[in-house]
Amino acid sequence: MPKKEFNFGKAFEELETIMAWFEKEEVDLDEGLKKFERGLELAAACKATLTEVENKVEKIKTKFL
Amino acid sequence: MDAVLSVSDFLKLANEVLRLNIQGSAFAIEGEVSGFKIVNGRWPSFTLKDEQHDEFQLACFAFHEIGVVEDGMRVRIWGAATVSKWSKFQLTVERVEPVGEGAFKRAYEALKKKLELEGLFDVARKRALPRFPKRIGLITSGDAAAYGDFLRILNNRWGGVVVEHANVHVQGKEAVDEILAAFQALNAPTRNVRPDVTGQCDVIVLTRGGGSLEDLHAFNDEHVARAVYASVIPVVCGVGHERDESLCDYVADVRASTPSNAAERVVPNREDVLFELQMTSRMMEERLLGCVNEKKTVLENLARVMTHQVHRQKIHLEAITQALKDQTARWIATLKTRIESSTRLLTNLDPTRILSRGYAIASANGQVVKDVSTLELGSDLTVQFAKGSVETTVKCKR
Repeated sequence: MPKKEFNFGKAFEELETIMAWFEKEEVDLDEGLKKFERGLELAAACKATLTEVENKVEKIKTKFL
Repeated sequence: MDAVLSVSDFLKLANEVLRLNIQGSAFAIEGEVSGFKIVNGRWPSFTLKDEQHDEFQLACFAFHEIGVVEDGMRVRIWGAATVSKWSKFQLTVERVEPVGEGAFKRAYEALKKKLELEGLFDVARKRALPRFPKRIGLITSGDAAAYGDFLRILNNRWGGVVVEHANVHVQGKEAVDEILAAFQALNAPTRNVRPDVTGQCDVIVLTRGGGSLEDLHAFNDEHVARAVYASVIPVVCGVGHERDESLCDYVADVRASTPSNAAERVVPNREDVLFELQMTSRMMEERLLGCVNEKKTVLENLARVMTHQVHRQKIHLEAITQALKDQTARWIATLKTRIESSTRLLTNLDPTRILSRGYAIASANGQVVKDVSTLELGSDLTVQFAKGSVETTVKCKR
């Protein structure tokens, strides 16, 4: 079974939402800890993806008129 | 008997002979356009003049749009030699290409104006590119430097991307049709993709190296420009060197200056993203620590205020206790003095103390006698001394 593909864009977006939350004036400590943990998890996953260096080229066939 | 043909059959025969003997696609005819007009608002018609020998002229007619053609323009024409039903020999035009920088420039400027007026360059319609594309459609020639440049920069900056490469000619007569087919293939809603691949590309890159206006003709072609405009997937166009421009550049959602720049525009730099990720983690940590420190400061202040209060209460209590002690001591001393003076007074008043000095107390019937007149001769009298008493009788009064 193929493993679920990590969506870098979605993870980064979620991380930015968490950042925006932290940039608010008042930060609730309990909620903050939860978000902090989730944020670190996302950042780590994103960093891991960055180590991927290969790009793949596929030739596509076009029907020329 | 000789065969008899109708006029129409004869003209058909003549056209057939021309078709078989003059293969229009094998060569182009070059000359200067004159008397250009659009017949019945639909069909372009003009005369192609020989540049050396002005008197040689070829009638040209097209059943479709042939791009921007103007009088005086030097062009190459591909088409089929035909005879019309009025026996007019003419060239049925398939394709027209301007020749020379001057002609290209004029065609280019005219088409640019036309497309601009139609709104193909409108900034408002330009779409944002996805920040982290997974699939990139690449339309360029696999043999050209542009292809290598694009992939090199792409690999330097970012990974994990699938590039779907449509290998096309970027100049020459095949270029336009191949580029159009590539756009069609990449934009097809039901693409014949592998089972593990889903969906379309996130972005299409149309690119090539620099060149003369003539080389860039496919990128200035009206049909290609319209294909860029019609693409449901955002398009990045990057042509040649920075100074080069093409109509596709103006129509594309994003204009890149070179093939390398196109790669820079479609994917982020992993170093930048890594830095951003690190900053994110640090910022969250700092905010959280700041929050903890804030709470700690509040608690510390509270503790300090409370300690201070307790201390003040203690001092107050000690002062009161001391005052009480002092007051009590003073009160006891006063009391003692008063008791002593009272005792002294009482001691002085004690009658037995007077008796001891030789005085005696006379009493009759239990009453101390202070006046002799209260006594009668012969009455009993008790006389008390310091030690002991006697009973006597009054013998005389004086």
